[in-house]
Amino acid sequence: MPLPILLVLVVGGIGAIALVLHMLGLSARKVFADATEVRGIWESEFPDNPVRAVLLSHDRHAALIDTEDGQQGIVWPMGADAAARFLAGATLKKARNGLNINLPDFTAPRISLRLGEQEAEAWMAKWADARGQRA
Amino acid sequence: MNYPDVTQMAVPFFIAAIVLELVWILTKKRGGRYETRDALTSLLMGAGNVVVTIVLGFVAYGFFMFLWGLTPLDLGSSVLVVAVCFVLDDLRYYWVHRYGHRIRWVWASHVNHHSSQHYNLTTALRQTWTGTFTLMMVVRAPLILLGFHPAMVLFVGGLNLVYQFWIHTEAIDKMPRWFEAVMNTPSHHRVHHGRNPRYLDSNYAGVFIIWDKMFGTFVPEQQSDRPEYGLVHNLGTFNPLRVAFHEWLGIYRDMTQSGISLRDRVMYAIAPPGWSHDGTRDTSDQIKIKHLERTPEDRDTPGFNTH
Repeated sequence: MPLPILLVLVVGGIGAIALVLHMLGLSARKVFADATEVRGIWESEFPDNPVRAVLLSHDRHAALIDTEDGQQGIVWPMGADAAARFLAGATLKKARNGLNINLPDFTAPRISLRLGEQEAEAWMAKWADARGQRA
Repeated sequence: MNYPDVTQMAVPFFIAAIVLELVWILTKKRGGRYETRDALTSLLMGAGNVVVTIVLGFVAYGFFMFLWGLTPLDLGSSVLVVAVCFVLDDLRYYWVHRYGHRIRWVWASHVNHHSSQHYNLTTALRQTWTGTFTLMMVVRAPLILLGFHPAMVLFVGGLNLVYQFWIHTEAIDKMPRWFEAVMNTPSHHRVHHGRNPRYLDSNYAGVFIIWDKMFGTFVPEQQSDRPEYGLVHNLGTFNPLRVAFHEWLGIYRDMTQSGISLRDRVMYAIAPPGWSHDGTRDTSDQIKIKHLERTPEDRDTPGFNTH
Protein backbone atom coordinates (compact mmCIF):
# COMPACT_ATOMS: atom_id res chain seq x y z
CA MET A 1 0.00 0.00 0.00
CA PRO A 2 1.42 3.44 -0.88
CA LEU A 3 2.71 5.19 2.23
CA PRO A 4 0.58 8.38 1.89
CA ILE A 5 -2.61 6.29 1.68
CA LEU A 6 -1.53 4.21 4.67
CA LEU A 7 -0.81 7.40 6.59
CA VAL A 8 -4.23 8.90 5.80
CA LEU A 9 -5.95 5.65 6.78
CA VAL A 10 -4.09 5.29 10.06
CA VAL A 11 -4.28 8.93 11.18
CA GLY A 12 -7.83 9.42 9.90
CA GLY A 13 -9.01 6.11 11.33
CA ILE A 14 -7.54 6.75 14.77
CA GLY A 15 -8.87 10.31 14.90
CA ALA A 16 -12.35 9.31 13.73
CA ILE A 17 -12.66 6.42 16.17
CA ALA A 18 -11.46 8.53 19.12
CA LEU A 19 -13.87 11.33 18.20
CA VAL A 20 -16.82 8.95 17.84
CA LEU A 21 -16.05 7.31 21.21
CA HIS A 22 -15.84 10.70 22.91
CA MET A 23 -19.08 11.91 21.30
CA LEU A 24 -20.77 8.74 22.50
CA GLY A 25 -19.89 9.66 26.07
CA LEU A 26 -17.32 6.91 26.47
CA SER A 27 -14.72 9.19 28.04
CA ALA A 28 -16.41 9.31 31.43
CA ARG A 29 -14.23 8.52 34.43
CA LYS A 30 -15.12 5.61 36.62
CA VAL A 31 -17.24 6.27 39.69
CA PHE A 32 -16.70 3.67 42.40
CA ALA A 33 -19.92 2.15 43.67
CA ASP A 34 -18.82 1.93 47.29
CA ALA A 35 -15.97 0.99 49.61
CA THR A 36 -16.53 -2.69 48.90
CA GLU A 37 -15.75 -2.21 45.21
CA VAL A 38 -12.62 -0.22 46.07
CA ARG A 39 -11.52 -2.92 48.49
CA GLY A 40 -11.95 -5.54 45.75
CA ILE A 41 -9.87 -3.51 43.29
CA TRP A 42 -7.09 -2.99 45.84
CA GLU A 43 -6.98 -6.60 46.94
CA SER A 44 -6.93 -7.89 43.35
CA GLU A 45 -3.79 -5.74 42.83
CA PHE A 46 -2.22 -6.37 46.23
CA PRO A 47 -3.67 -9.57 47.70
CA ASP A 48 -0.84 -9.74 50.26
CA ASN A 49 -1.84 -6.35 51.69
CA PRO A 50 -5.49 -6.53 52.78
CA VAL A 51 -7.43 -3.34 53.34
CA ARG A 52 -8.07 -2.07 56.86
CA ALA A 53 -9.99 1.07 55.89
CA VAL A 54 -11.25 2.86 52.78
CA LEU A 55 -11.80 6.60 52.63
CA LEU A 56 -13.88 7.27 49.53
CA SER A 57 -13.90 10.79 48.09
CA HIS A 58 -17.17 12.71 48.14
CA ASP A 59 -17.76 12.16 44.41
CA ARG A 60 -16.55 8.52 44.62
CA HIS A 61 -13.81 9.14 42.02
CA ALA A 62 -10.92 8.11 44.28
CA ALA A 63 -10.18 6.40 47.55
CA LEU A 64 -7.45 6.53 50.16
CA ILE A 65 -6.53 3.10 51.49
CA ASP A 66 -5.14 2.01 54.83
CA THR A 67 -3.80 -1.52 54.78
CA GLU A 68 -3.71 -3.92 57.68
CA ASP A 69 0.10 -3.78 57.69
CA GLY A 70 0.07 -0.02 58.24
CA GLN A 71 0.68 1.23 54.71
CA GLN A 72 -1.31 3.75 52.69
CA GLY A 73 -2.41 3.55 49.11
CA ILE A 74 -4.58 5.18 46.54
CA VAL A 75 -7.18 3.83 44.13
CA TRP A 76 -8.17 6.13 41.29
CA PRO A 77 -9.93 5.92 37.93
CA MET A 78 -8.06 4.99 34.78
CA GLY A 79 -10.78 5.95 32.35
CA ALA A 80 -13.62 3.50 32.94
CA ASP A 81 -11.35 1.29 35.04
CA ALA A 82 -9.04 1.79 37.98
CA ALA A 83 -5.44 1.68 39.12
CA ALA A 84 -3.99 1.30 42.59
CA ARG A 85 -0.64 2.22 44.11
CA PHE A 86 1.03 2.42 47.48
CA LEU A 87 1.84 5.96 48.58
CA ALA A 88 5.35 5.11 49.74
CA GLY A 89 7.71 7.75 48.34
CA ALA A 90 4.83 9.92 47.14
CA THR A 91 4.58 13.66 47.47
CA LEU A 92 1.14 15.20 47.87
CA LYS A 93 0.39 18.78 46.97
CA LYS A 94 -2.86 20.67 47.23
CA ALA A 95 -4.12 21.88 43.89
CA ARG A 96 -6.91 24.24 42.88
CA ASN A 97 -9.44 21.45 42.47
CA GLY A 98 -8.07 18.88 44.85
CA LEU A 99 -4.80 17.09 45.22
CA ASN A 100 -1.85 16.23 43.02
CA ILE A 101 0.10 13.11 43.89
CA ASN A 102 3.56 12.55 42.43
CA LEU A 103 4.79 8.99 42.63
CA PRO A 104 8.26 7.60 41.97
CA ASP A 105 6.66 5.26 39.45
CA PHE A 106 7.19 5.50 35.69
CA THR A 107 3.80 3.83 35.09
CA ALA A 108 1.88 6.23 37.34
CA PRO A 109 3.97 9.37 37.73
CA ARG A 110 1.21 11.82 38.57
CA ILE A 111 -2.32 11.45 39.84
CA SER A 112 -4.68 14.41 39.89
CA LEU A 113 -7.59 13.99 42.25
CA ARG A 114 -10.68 16.16 42.31
CA LEU A 115 -11.42 16.80 45.97
CA GLY A 116 -13.22 19.45 47.96
CA GLU A 117 -11.13 21.97 49.89
CA GLN A 118 -11.71 20.38 53.30
CA GLU A 119 -11.49 16.90 51.86
CA ALA A 120 -8.07 17.62 50.31
CA GLU A 121 -6.83 18.94 53.66
CA ALA A 122 -8.17 15.88 55.45
CA TRP A 123 -6.45 13.53 52.99
CA MET A 124 -3.18 15.46 53.32
CA ALA A 125 -3.41 15.28 57.12
CA LYS A 126 -4.19 11.57 57.05
CA TRP A 127 -1.26 10.92 54.74
CA ALA A 128 1.11 13.02 56.87
CA ASP A 129 -0.12 11.30 60.00
CA ALA A 130 0.49 7.84 58.55
CA ARG A 131 3.92 8.93 57.33
CA GLY A 132 4.75 10.24 60.80
CA GLN A 133 3.71 6.98 62.41
CA ARG A 134 5.94 4.99 60.05
CA ALA A 135 8.96 7.27 60.54
CA MET B 1 9.40 -13.83 -4.73
CA ASN B 2 6.63 -11.27 -4.09
CA TYR B 3 4.04 -11.50 -1.36
CA PRO B 4 1.66 -8.74 -0.28
CA ASP B 5 2.06 -7.01 3.07
CA VAL B 6 -1.18 -8.38 4.45
CA THR B 7 -1.07 -6.47 7.74
CA GLN B 8 -0.97 -3.13 5.93
CA MET B 9 -3.62 -4.28 3.48
CA ALA B 10 -5.85 -5.20 6.40
CA VAL B 11 -5.84 -1.69 7.93
CA PRO B 12 -9.18 -0.64 6.31
CA PHE B 13 -10.70 -3.94 7.47
CA PHE B 14 -9.42 -3.33 11.01
CA ILE B 15 -11.06 0.10 11.13
CA ALA B 16 -14.35 -1.19 9.71
CA ALA B 17 -14.40 -4.13 12.13
CA ILE B 18 -13.78 -1.84 15.12
CA VAL B 19 -16.72 0.33 14.07
CA LEU B 20 -18.91 -2.76 13.63
CA GLU B 21 -17.94 -4.12 17.06
CA LEU B 22 -18.68 -0.76 18.66
CA VAL B 23 -22.11 -0.60 16.99
CA TRP B 24 -22.79 -4.17 18.11
CA ILE B 25 -21.86 -3.40 21.74
CA LEU B 26 -23.94 -0.22 21.80
CA THR B 27 -27.02 -1.78 20.24
CA LYS B 28 -26.93 -5.12 22.06
CA LYS B 29 -25.72 -3.63 25.37
CA ARG B 30 -23.32 -6.54 25.79
CA GLY B 31 -20.23 -8.06 24.22
CA GLY B 32 -17.54 -5.77 25.53
CA ARG B 33 -16.64 -2.23 26.53
CA TYR B 34 -14.95 0.76 24.89
CA GLU B 35 -13.33 3.76 26.55
CA THR B 36 -11.89 6.68 24.61
CA ARG B 37 -8.39 6.99 26.08
CA ASP B 38 -7.88 3.26 26.31
CA ALA B 39 -8.85 2.79 22.66
CA LEU B 40 -6.77 5.79 21.59
CA THR B 41 -3.70 4.38 23.35
CA SER B 42 -4.22 1.00 21.71
CA LEU B 43 -4.59 2.57 18.26
CA LEU B 44 -1.52 4.77 18.75
CA MET B 45 0.46 1.72 19.82
CA GLY B 46 -0.69 0.02 16.62
CA ALA B 47 0.30 3.02 14.49
CA GLY B 48 3.69 3.12 16.21
CA ASN B 49 4.17 -0.54 15.47
CA VAL B 50 3.55 0.11 11.76
CA VAL B 51 6.12 2.93 11.79
CA VAL B 52 8.71 0.83 13.64
CA THR B 53 8.17 -2.05 11.22
CA ILE B 54 8.81 0.28 8.28
CA VAL B 55 11.89 1.82 9.94
CA LEU B 56 13.47 -1.28 11.53
CA GLY B 57 12.08 -4.02 9.30
CA PHE B 58 15.36 -4.17 7.44
CA VAL B 59 17.11 -5.63 10.52
CA ALA B 60 15.05 -8.83 10.57
CA TYR B 61 14.85 -9.05 6.79
CA GLY B 62 18.60 -8.56 6.46
CA PHE B 63 19.18 -11.33 9.00
CA PHE B 64 16.78 -13.65 7.16
CA MET B 65 18.40 -12.96 3.77
CA PHE B 66 21.80 -13.68 5.33
CA LEU B 67 20.47 -17.07 6.47
CA TRP B 68 18.91 -17.64 3.05
CA GLY B 69 22.33 -17.16 1.54
CA LEU B 70 23.72 -19.86 3.82
CA THR B 71 21.18 -22.60 3.25
CA PRO B 72 21.45 -24.98 0.30
CA LEU B 73 17.72 -25.78 0.61
CA ASP B 74 14.92 -24.16 -1.38
CA LEU B 75 11.42 -25.61 -1.01
CA GLY B 76 9.96 -23.37 -3.72
CA SER B 77 6.70 -21.49 -3.50
CA SER B 78 3.90 -23.99 -4.13
CA VAL B 79 0.63 -23.62 -2.25
CA LEU B 80 1.47 -26.72 -0.21
CA VAL B 81 4.81 -25.26 0.83
CA VAL B 82 3.12 -21.98 1.84
CA ALA B 83 0.58 -23.98 3.88
CA VAL B 84 3.29 -25.99 5.63
CA CYS B 85 5.22 -22.79 6.26
CA PHE B 86 2.08 -21.24 7.81
CA VAL B 87 1.64 -24.15 10.22
CA LEU B 88 5.32 -24.27 11.20
CA ASP B 89 5.42 -20.51 11.61
CA ASP B 90 2.43 -20.77 13.94
CA LEU B 91 4.45 -23.23 16.02
CA ARG B 92 7.25 -20.66 15.96
CA TYR B 93 4.73 -18.03 17.12
CA TYR B 94 3.63 -20.24 20.03
CA TRP B 95 7.19 -20.48 21.37
CA VAL B 96 8.06 -16.82 20.81
CA HIS B 97 4.84 -15.90 22.58
CA ARG B 98 5.61 -18.28 25.44
CA TYR B 99 9.10 -16.81 25.78
CA GLY B 100 7.36 -13.43 25.72
CA HIS B 101 5.62 -14.29 28.97
CA ARG B 102 8.39 -16.27 30.64
CA ILE B 103 11.51 -14.23 29.86
CA ARG B 104 11.41 -10.67 31.19
CA TRP B 105 13.57 -9.35 28.34
CA VAL B 106 10.96 -10.48 25.84
CA TRP B 107 8.06 -9.57 28.17
CA ALA B 108 9.36 -5.98 28.16
CA SER B 109 8.33 -5.83 24.53
CA HIS B 110 5.11 -7.83 24.79
CA VAL B 111 3.76 -6.35 28.04
CA ASN B 112 2.14 -3.41 26.29
CA HIS B 113 -0.20 -5.75 24.42
CA HIS B 114 -1.59 -6.85 27.79
CA SER B 115 -1.71 -3.42 29.36
CA SER B 116 -5.31 -2.57 28.48
CA GLN B 117 -8.00 -3.34 31.02
CA HIS B 118 -10.39 -3.66 28.09
CA TYR B 119 -10.69 -6.49 25.62
CA ASN B 120 -11.97 -5.33 22.28
CA LEU B 121 -10.70 -5.14 18.72
CA THR B 122 -8.55 -2.10 19.48
CA THR B 123 -6.68 -4.21 22.03
CA ALA B 124 -5.52 -6.39 19.15
CA LEU B 125 -3.75 -3.37 17.68
CA ARG B 126 -1.95 -2.50 20.94
CA GLN B 127 1.29 -3.85 19.53
CA THR B 128 4.92 -3.55 20.53
CA TRP B 129 7.35 -0.90 19.37
CA THR B 130 10.39 -2.78 20.62
CA GLY B 131 10.06 -6.28 19.19
CA THR B 132 13.29 -5.97 17.22
CA PHE B 133 15.27 -5.53 20.46
CA THR B 134 14.12 -8.87 21.85
CA LEU B 135 16.06 -10.64 19.05
CA MET B 136 13.25 -13.19 18.82
CA MET B 137 13.76 -13.13 15.06
CA VAL B 138 16.29 -15.93 15.67
CA VAL B 139 13.39 -18.32 16.34
CA ARG B 140 12.47 -18.00 12.66
CA ALA B 141 15.97 -19.07 11.61
CA PRO B 142 15.15 -22.81 11.39
CA LEU B 143 12.33 -22.11 8.92
CA ILE B 144 14.64 -20.24 6.59
CA LEU B 145 17.45 -22.73 6.95
CA LEU B 146 14.93 -25.47 6.06
CA GLY B 147 14.33 -23.75 2.71
CA PHE B 148 11.31 -21.50 3.25
CA HIS B 149 12.04 -18.19 1.54
CA PRO B 150 12.21 -15.19 3.93
CA ALA B 151 9.48 -13.35 2.02
CA MET B 152 7.19 -16.36 2.45
CA VAL B 153 8.01 -16.59 6.15
CA LEU B 154 7.15 -12.92 6.66
CA PHE B 155 3.97 -13.34 4.57
CA VAL B 156 2.63 -16.22 6.68
CA GLY B 157 3.66 -14.34 9.83
CA GLY B 158 1.52 -11.44 8.61
CA LEU B 159 -1.41 -13.78 7.96
CA ASN B 160 -0.98 -15.09 11.50
CA LEU B 161 -1.25 -11.59 12.97
CA VAL B 162 -4.28 -10.74 10.82
CA TYR B 163 -5.99 -13.93 12.01
CA GLN B 164 -5.38 -12.91 15.62
CA PHE B 165 -7.18 -9.60 15.18
CA TRP B 166 -10.72 -10.97 15.30
CA ILE B 167 -10.18 -13.07 18.43
CA HIS B 168 -9.75 -9.93 20.56
CA THR B 169 -13.43 -9.55 21.26
CA GLU B 170 -16.07 -10.29 23.87
CA ALA B 171 -18.80 -9.96 21.24
CA ILE B 172 -18.34 -13.62 20.27
CA ASP B 173 -18.90 -16.10 23.07
CA LYS B 174 -18.02 -19.53 21.65
CA MET B 175 -17.42 -20.84 18.14
CA PRO B 176 -18.64 -24.31 17.06
CA ARG B 177 -17.10 -27.10 19.14
CA TRP B 178 -14.91 -28.46 16.32
CA PHE B 179 -13.52 -24.98 15.72
CA GLU B 180 -12.82 -24.37 19.42
CA ALA B 181 -10.97 -27.73 19.50
CA VAL B 182 -8.46 -26.82 16.80
CA MET B 183 -8.35 -23.06 16.34
CA ASN B 184 -7.54 -20.16 18.59
CA THR B 185 -10.81 -18.36 19.32
CA PRO B 186 -12.08 -15.31 21.22
CA SER B 187 -12.84 -17.57 24.20
CA HIS B 188 -9.35 -19.10 24.28
CA HIS B 189 -7.66 -15.75 23.83
CA ARG B 190 -9.76 -14.00 26.49
CA VAL B 191 -8.20 -16.52 28.84
CA HIS B 192 -4.75 -15.51 27.63
CA HIS B 193 -5.48 -11.86 28.43
CA GLY B 194 -6.92 -12.67 31.87
CA ARG B 195 -5.04 -11.37 34.91
CA ASN B 196 -6.87 -13.81 37.17
CA PRO B 197 -4.30 -16.14 38.79
CA ARG B 198 -5.98 -19.08 37.04
CA TYR B 199 -5.31 -17.68 33.59
CA LEU B 200 -1.73 -16.43 33.94
CA ASP B 201 0.70 -17.90 31.42
CA SER B 202 -1.82 -19.89 29.38
CA ASN B 203 -3.13 -20.12 25.81
CA TYR B 204 -0.12 -18.79 23.92
CA ALA B 205 -1.44 -19.93 20.54
CA GLY B 206 -1.57 -17.70 17.50
CA VAL B 207 -3.84 -19.56 15.08
CA PHE B 208 -3.97 -23.21 16.20
CA ILE B 209 -4.84 -23.85 19.87
CA ILE B 210 -3.49 -27.38 19.48
CA TRP B 211 0.00 -26.16 20.46
CA ASP B 212 -1.22 -25.25 23.94
CA LYS B 213 -2.90 -28.62 24.25
CA MET B 214 0.29 -30.36 23.09
CA PHE B 215 2.62 -28.43 25.39
CA GLY B 216 0.39 -28.31 28.48
CA THR B 217 -0.48 -24.62 28.59
CA PHE B 218 -4.16 -24.81 27.58
CA VAL B 219 -6.75 -23.47 30.02
CA PRO B 220 -10.42 -23.32 28.97
CA GLU B 221 -12.47 -20.24 29.82
CA GLN B 222 -14.50 -20.76 32.98
CA GLN B 223 -18.00 -19.34 33.36
CA SER B 224 -17.37 -19.22 37.11
CA ASP B 225 -14.20 -17.14 36.74
CA ARG B 226 -14.65 -14.58 33.98
CA PRO B 227 -11.38 -13.11 32.73
CA GLU B 228 -10.41 -9.74 34.17
CA TYR B 229 -8.18 -8.03 31.67
CA GLY B 230 -4.92 -6.18 32.09
CA LEU B 231 -1.73 -6.66 34.03
CA VAL B 232 -1.22 -8.13 37.48
CA HIS B 233 -0.36 -4.53 38.44
CA ASN B 234 -2.26 -2.30 36.05
CA LEU B 235 -0.67 0.78 34.57
CA GLY B 236 -1.64 4.20 35.86
CA THR B 237 -1.04 5.95 32.54
CA PHE B 238 -2.40 6.09 29.01
CA ASN B 239 0.81 7.69 27.68
CA PRO B 240 1.95 5.47 24.77
CA LEU B 241 5.63 6.21 25.45
CA ARG B 242 5.31 5.01 29.04
CA VAL B 243 3.27 2.01 27.90
CA ALA B 244 5.91 1.09 25.32
CA PHE B 245 9.02 1.48 27.43
CA HIS B 246 8.11 1.03 31.10
CA GLU B 247 9.29 -2.55 31.46
CA TRP B 248 12.57 -1.83 29.67
CA LEU B 249 13.19 0.96 32.18
CA GLY B 250 12.26 -1.42 34.99
CA ILE B 251 14.84 -3.93 33.76
CA TYR B 252 17.48 -1.20 33.52
CA ARG B 253 16.80 0.02 37.06
CA ASP B 254 16.78 -3.48 38.49
CA MET B 255 19.96 -4.52 36.70
CA THR B 256 21.89 -1.42 37.67
CA GLN B 257 20.94 -1.25 41.35
CA SER B 258 23.81 -1.48 43.79
CA GLY B 259 24.61 -4.38 46.08
CA ILE B 260 23.51 -7.33 43.97
CA SER B 261 25.53 -10.04 42.27
CA LEU B 262 26.23 -10.37 38.56
CA ARG B 263 23.95 -13.41 38.52
CA ASP B 264 21.13 -11.33 39.99
CA ARG B 265 21.65 -8.65 37.35
CA VAL B 266 21.37 -11.22 34.57
CA MET B 267 18.35 -12.84 36.20
CA TYR B 268 16.52 -9.52 36.19
CA ALA B 269 16.67 -9.70 32.40
CA ILE B 270 16.11 -13.37 31.71
CA ALA B 271 14.07 -14.72 34.63
CA PRO B 272 10.27 -14.72 34.44
CA PRO B 273 8.54 -11.37 35.05
CA GLY B 274 8.12 -10.81 38.79
CA TRP B 275 11.40 -12.46 39.74
CA SER B 276 13.43 -10.49 42.28
CA HIS B 277 16.72 -11.17 44.04
CA ASP B 278 15.17 -10.62 47.49
CA GLY B 279 11.83 -12.34 46.88
CA THR B 280 9.82 -9.14 47.35
CA ARG B 281 7.91 -9.65 44.09
CA ASP B 282 5.91 -12.56 42.74
CA THR B 283 6.21 -14.47 39.50
CA SER B 284 3.05 -15.93 37.99
CA ASP B 285 3.92 -19.29 39.54
CA GLN B 286 4.14 -17.70 42.99
CA ILE B 287 0.90 -15.79 42.39
CA LYS B 288 -0.85 -19.10 41.64
CA ILE B 289 0.61 -20.78 44.73
CA LYS B 290 -0.47 -17.89 46.96
CA HIS B 291 -3.92 -17.93 45.38
CA LEU B 292 -4.28 -21.61 46.22
CA GLU B 293 -3.21 -20.93 49.80
CA ARG B 294 -6.03 -18.39 50.06
CA THR B 295 -8.49 -20.37 47.94
CA PRO B 296 -7.69 -24.08 48.35
CA GLU B 297 -10.97 -25.11 46.69
CA ASP B 298 -9.46 -24.01 43.35
CA ARG B 299 -6.78 -26.69 43.59
CA ASP B 300 -6.88 -29.16 40.65
CA THR B 301 -9.25 -26.94 38.67
CA PRO B 302 -8.25 -25.62 35.22
CA GLY B 303 -5.22 -23.35 35.42
CA PHE B 304 -4.16 -24.81 38.76
CA ASN B 305 -3.67 -28.44 37.82
CA THR B 306 0.09 -28.36 38.13
CA HIS B 307 0.29 -26.61 41.51
